[in-house]
Amino acid sequence: MFLNSAHVNGKSGISRLMFTTLMILILFTMSGIAAAQDGGVLRVGMNAPENLDPATGSNDPEILFNGTIYDYLIDVRPDNTLAPNLASGWEMSDDGLTYTFALVEGVQFHDGSDFTAADVVFTFERLKAVESAALGLLGDFEVAADGDYTVVFTLAGLNADFLYGIASRFAFILKEGTENPGVLGEGDDVFSNFIGTGPFVLAEYSAGERAFLTANENYWIEGQPMLGGIEFLFIDDSLTQIDALRSGAVDFIFKLDVSQVATLEGESDIVITEVVSNQHPLIRIRSDEGHLGEDARIRQAFRLTTNREELLLTVQEGRGLVGNNDPIGPTYGDFFAEIDNPAFDSAAACDLIQEATGEARLGPIDFYVDNALNFESLAVALQQQWSEGCIDVNILMRESGVYYANNEWMEVDLGITGWGHRPVPQIYLNIMVAGDAVWNEAHFADAEVDELIAQASVTADTMARAEIYAQISTILAERGPYVIPWFSSLIGAASSIVEGLEMHPFPGLTDFRSVSIND
Amino acid sequence: MEQNLTNVESFGASHSFTTRFGKFLKQLAERPLSLIGTFIVVLFLFIAVTGPLIAPHGYDEFMRDDEGALMRRTEPSLQHPFGTDKDGRDIFSRVIWGTREIILLPGIATTIAVILGTSIGLTVGYYGGWFDEIVSQLMDSLLSIPALVLALVMLGTFGQSEIGIIIVVVLLYTPIVARIIRSTTLNIRTLGYIEAAKLRGESTPYILFREILPGVLPALVVEAALRFSYAIFLIASLGFLGLGVPPPSPSWGRMVEEARGEYLQAPWALWAPVIAIALLVVGVNLMADGLRRIFRHEIDKVS
Repeated sequence: MFLNSAHVNGKSGISRLMFTTLMILILFTMSGIAAAQDGGVLRVGMNAPENLDPATGSNDPEILFNGTIYDYLIDVRPDNTLAPNLASGWEMSDDGLTYTFALVEGVQFHDGSDFTAADVVFTFERLKAVESAALGLLGDFEVAADGDYTVVFTLAGLNADFLYGIASRFAFILKEGTENPGVLGEGDDVFSNFIGTGPFVLAEYSAGERAFLTANENYWIEGQPMLGGIEFLFIDDSLTQIDALRSGAVDFIFKLDVSQVATLEGESDIVITEVVSNQHPLIRIRSDEGHLGEDARIRQAFRLTTNREELLLTVQEGRGLVGNNDPIGPTYGDFFAEIDNPAFDSAAACDLIQEATGEARLGPIDFYVDNALNFESLAVALQQQWSEGCIDVNILMRESGVYYANNEWMEVDLGITGWGHRPVPQIYLNIMVAGDAVWNEAHFADAEVDELIAQASVTADTMARAEIYAQISTILAERGPYVIPWFSSLIGAASSIVEGLEMHPFPGLTDFRSVSIND
Repeated sequence: MEQNLTNVESFGASHSFTTRFGKFLKQLAERPLSLIGTFIVVLFLFIAVTGPLIAPHGYDEFMRDDEGALMRRTEPSLQHPFGTDKDGRDIFSRVIWGTREIILLPGIATTIAVILGTSIGLTVGYYGGWFDEIVSQLMDSLLSIPALVLALVMLGTFGQSEIGIIIVVVLLYTPIVARIIRSTTLNIRTLGYIEAAKLRGESTPYILFREILPGVLPALVVEAALRFSYAIFLIASLGFLGLGVPPPSPSWGRMVEEARGEYLQAPWALWAPVIAIALLVVGVNLMADGLRRIFRHEIDKVS
């Protein structure tokens, strides 16, 4: 026995290292167990959130984190419909310019203070002050309190999507007077900037590592949250997230790359959820003067020589819906106009290139690709398809941080950008397609399209609006700057002990209030 | 062993290069491990040169079955000895094509670093004094930057390209080579035959390259081989981190990165490039080790 252990110890430092690692892992897991109350603790593995300001933090981890602390006035359900939350009901005036919201009474913030109309006014004034992306759907408005539990919004013009603006993922209700929401304080007040009415209360936060939230004992919905707490473990590497789920270190991960799904499918204690969404890789051709796609024939050539069906089946492994030429995807039901895409025709593309440039081949063009999900495989497959259509490209993989941070994605001639799911198609039109849109990365400007977008934004009737969207889709299929290979299914995976979890097509909006752990 | 000892002072001009090279090969052959290492390196060099002739498919060619469907993640078979990857490309062909890059890039970069480092090392070692102080401090400060961090910053800022990678490796390895050559030069410059050359009135370049260089050559050869193996590893690492030559180039490091996420579904896609990298690095190291043994006495003599 003695000899044996001496032998093990003497063998190498590796076994000791493994032992230490194991102990650390066990301790790590124990700390989660110790903190568990009835209902258990849900451990979520996700990328580290960076901007915790509710009005501006925009990606899934940021929204998911804030969504545990704060509530919305109106929730967007996974099927894109609206559900009352802190606003128990609302009315629109006959002229469509005034919205009156009734608020739930008796709601308390984490610090015990009452939730009133003043907090709502503060929140929406702040969205304006920090120029939050929520304004894209809110438009021009004035907000005022009418007593403690009624809020009145007055609009500058008709806005058919105003309620979706109120339900914007940035419109978390803050406590009036919060100065630096999302910023860690000092001393005893370290979490004083994280006061919401939400189902969980922030208890521990270690930037880039983890956060722990306990259930809000005074939550305003009876019986919710069902969990005792939530632990976020910040893991930036997607493969490590998967390994963490497989090893039982976390219970839920989301936004898996399709190629990873098969790895998890054989595991009996892991449940994979797949949600159709409007998330898509956007291939856009810059079309202002002096750039690649200035001539509409060039843009059309790209569309003709992209085989969307094959890309969906191979690169995306069939997980999603075949794409088209604009961001209004099939998940929008009536708003989606089924336009027959021309069949893959590389010869026709070659002819267009010849016509437009006088040369037999176009390129090589630098093709900028956000290094996310399966975009590299997509780029490699596109390079081959386009090559058949007389277009040559050099693939340049860009780290997402670099690509988006220094605005490269807004400047390049040809690129792939990842666009997430939005509850209504109008958002994409307002921020991506319109000539003066903030993120008009294709620099596309078409008076007819702009006119239709403006018209759609004031058209409340569903069928009338669908008709306008169909016109937009038809124009973009003819002369637009976009090719969308597919609309992705979003994939999440959870341990089988997790119950009541319904992943949202925008995973950051996944609701944890009715989730429980069943050991 | 004694007859293998070569007199450093006789390096100057008396021995012809071919005799010395023949002797060197003979010595290498006496050590089985070094011979294996050299064999591996030569084999990879051969593959690098003849790659396009050996590879059954293009590195970016998508394999399709009889019905025209992409053959993604197919197991190794006679048709595809190393299987196919997630995009449906033949891994065997990609490994063979990738040999070019993994030999050529580190080869070019190491050669430039060795030439630059040797010139700098010889010059500062020979002149010494404040000139040596300044240049050496400068080199040391360059050495203090961790290799991967410098590479990440440079390639992240200026974008990925072959030229960028070569510049990074040259920046990283020139000071190391220079430092070794400098210290050897410091020892040689006090020797009698250098004094004699000075008294004969030979020019400085002549003294540096005809009198001193042959003396530092053994140390240089060993160092160059070692640098080459480190450069292979560095460039493979950069490929793994996504900062190597852009896709669809068959960079071994990138192949490891692409396959690592699917090691349960398609382990063969991971094994092929991993074994290739390991084999090449071990080969170069064994060869370098052999070189060091052969030149040990000569290196000891001047240092």
